[in-house]
Amino acid sequence: MDTKKKTLFGGNMRQNGMIIALLAVICFFGIATKGMIFRPLNISNIFMQNSYLIFLSLGMFFCVLTGNVDLSVGSVVGVSGALLGAMIVQNHVPTWIAVTVTLVVGLLIGAFQGAFIAFLSIPPFIVTLAGMLMFRGLTQYILQGQSLSPFTNSFQYFASGFLFPQLKVGGLNVICLIVLAVASIAVILREMSARKKRISYGFEVPSMGVTAAKLAGIIFVMGFVLIMLAKYRGMPFVLVVLIIVTLIYNFIAQKTSVGRHVYAVGGNRLAAQMSGVKTKWVMFIVYVNCALLATVAGIVVTGRLNVATAKAGNSYELDAIAACYIGGCAAAGGSGTIMGTIVGAAIMAILNNGMSIMGISTDIQQVIKGLILLLAVTFDLTSKSKSKS
Amino acid sequence: MKKEMMRKGTVMMAVCLTAAAAFGTMTASAEGKKIGISLSSKELARSLKDEEYLTEYLEELGYEVDVQFGQGDANIQASQVENMIMSGVDGLIISPWDGSSMTSVVQLAHENNIPAIAYDANILNSEYIDYYSADDLEEIGATQGRYIVEHLDLDNNEDTFNLEIVAGDPADSNATYFYNGAMEVLKPYIEDGSLNVPSGQIEFSVTGTPGWEASKAQTRMDNILSTYYTDKRVDAVLCSNDGVALGVISSLKSVGYGAEDMPLPITTGQDCDVASIKSIIAGEQTMTVFKDIRELAKNATYMIDCLVNGEEPVIEDYVIYNNGVKDVIAMVVEPKALDINNYQELLFDSGYYSEDVLDME
Repeated sequence: MDTKKKTLFGGNMRQNGMIIALLAVICFFGIATKGMIFRPLNISNIFMQNSYLIFLSLGMFFCVLTGNVDLSVGSVVGVSGALLGAMIVQNHVPTWIAVTVTLVVGLLIGAFQGAFIAFLSIPPFIVTLAGMLMFRGLTQYILQGQSLSPFTNSFQYFASGFLFPQLKVGGLNVICLIVLAVASIAVILREMSARKKRISYGFEVPSMGVTAAKLAGIIFVMGFVLIMLAKYRGMPFVLVVLIIVTLIYNFIAQKTSVGRHVYAVGGNRLAAQMSGVKTKWVMFIVYVNCALLATVAGIVVTGRLNVATAKAGNSYELDAIAACYIGGCAAAGGSGTIMGTIVGAAIMAILNNGMSIMGISTDIQQVIKGLILLLAVTFDLTSKSKSKS
Repeated sequence: MKKEMMRKGTVMMAVCLTAAAAFGTMTASAEGKKIGISLSSKELARSLKDEEYLTEYLEELGYEVDVQFGQGDANIQASQVENMIMSGVDGLIISPWDGSSMTSVVQLAHENNIPAIAYDANILNSEYIDYYSADDLEEIGATQGRYIVEHLDLDNNEDTFNLEIVAGDPADSNATYFYNGAMEVLKPYIEDGSLNVPSGQIEFSVTGTPGWEASKAQTRMDNILSTYYTDKRVDAVLCSNDGVALGVISSLKSVGYGAEDMPLPITTGQDCDVASIKSIIAGEQTMTVFKDIRELAKNATYMIDCLVNGEEPVIEDYVIYNNGVKDVIAMVVEPKALDINNYQELLFDSGYYSEDVLDME
């Protein structure tokens, strides 16, 4: 990591590069669709359509951090949808029990794969490849080729409900405005305290003007998104969950010993082991976590579509892996950030949404997504090799 | 793929009668013979019905059957058929996952004097396939198109209606037929302005749904509704199958369709998935196309029984599909439009589904 390098914004160049890329993508589609992507309903849709991708990417992030991937997440999405369908649609199990059971199954799937990976030292690629096959097969077995529908309203709420949609003042949803106020204050306080800390340690800090501009930029973007959401039906429930989960994982990755241990294992497993990191348990937890988040994604996908299908989650693992790499995770492991991964997922999300609105045919869409992934990783690796020399 | 179609005008019932009549006469020669049935994938609800009816009808004639599923992979399926040939089956019914990947195994069957027919999807580029038990693919699309035309009453109505199109998987050649069949009906109305497509997304390549995935159809519909329908209502959505129809309906409901003052548009489908039947009964999906798998299986059973016994099947009503190197005679099943008014008769009274399937709810 090159965090010590002085840059205009005091952060690392790689991550700012990704944010600039995201803004560029947004501007491009903003112009190409004549502003249609900025409509309130579409802003709301972008979050609803891609919440699964962010859950998957958060789980995948830690796998990628250890220098591995989890190929089974798409199939785990499928199998959790199938289980939910079997329980809620076919057997009328109460929603909260069905959801709890599904999450527990997610933990068990993770523990199963994690045990092979961590304690039997089977390469994660192979274990999760096996998982991908097994859980896709189980999905088909449970569904017997049928699609299961309809789900209960309470179950659909998780993926497609809004928090107090009627609570509006002057056409704007109050919840969104409160979130905006709280988030703005939090961002300012955090930036200020971080700045103070850097000064007290004698590190260089960007000038006050630059900091203010950066804060203004962040608050403008948040404000724009939240006002648009407020204009439509307000805060999607799943977005609230996403924000909380993201903040928790960001905290874990940056501030806790578990998080640091994952970085350590990814950077150099042997060295980590020598310095007392329980590398096996780290690997175990990483894969349990990934499967758990994949079931959460399964709940979101199934709830939003209101149908459990055998194809659900097909090749989602590749989207999640791509989001991590585009978001700046190193392919060799050991570096990357949660926020970078979110930016990576956001780039994928805007690409999908913008290309769909423009009516670009699906074959070309795949070509473009492939090119973007290749460019992002190429940029990452070449900029790293330059900084080394 | 180049395709020529010819039609003969006799009524479909005649075919069914012929097939049924043939059943009684040939049982004696079927004893101890085995038919290999290779289906493309267990992922499709219909595959299980294919298996059920083909097995039932062939066993009625005294055949043993060996059914295998190709797991949605052309290579796996080809190996399975090779293994069937090696194990000494007397006839083959093949529903290829990928129509062009069966050429060499069909040749192998021919070299071993094992007759083979194509079932549900055609086997391409092979000289050794003469018969094909099929749905009339373009007619399925046309049935969907005609339903929209009739129920919007386009021929007697001066108004302009808004239509959107959600087609099938661009990689699935059947999807092209469904699309073409429907558009042949709808194109004139789009051209004369009685149907308007506000998104402008009309061509097959931009209306496709990769992998027939419902969630992809939902996302695309979301984007169309948020972009082009801020001040309009959509009146009809041409959906190529039930899966994508349910995705489209979830999208429509998320922006408020389905309320008293904002009824759902006409949505089409095909396959009679149980989830869609429930949706039709609930007043959400408007129609689906009923393709009677029993007829398809009966036709296949009749043809393979004739071929195994060295006779040529007598088929009165057929469509000719060119498979790339030769014309194949397809014995076709007539698709029927199914909606809330006739589902009871077509599905339950006829015994196609037992009514318990609805009790899952």
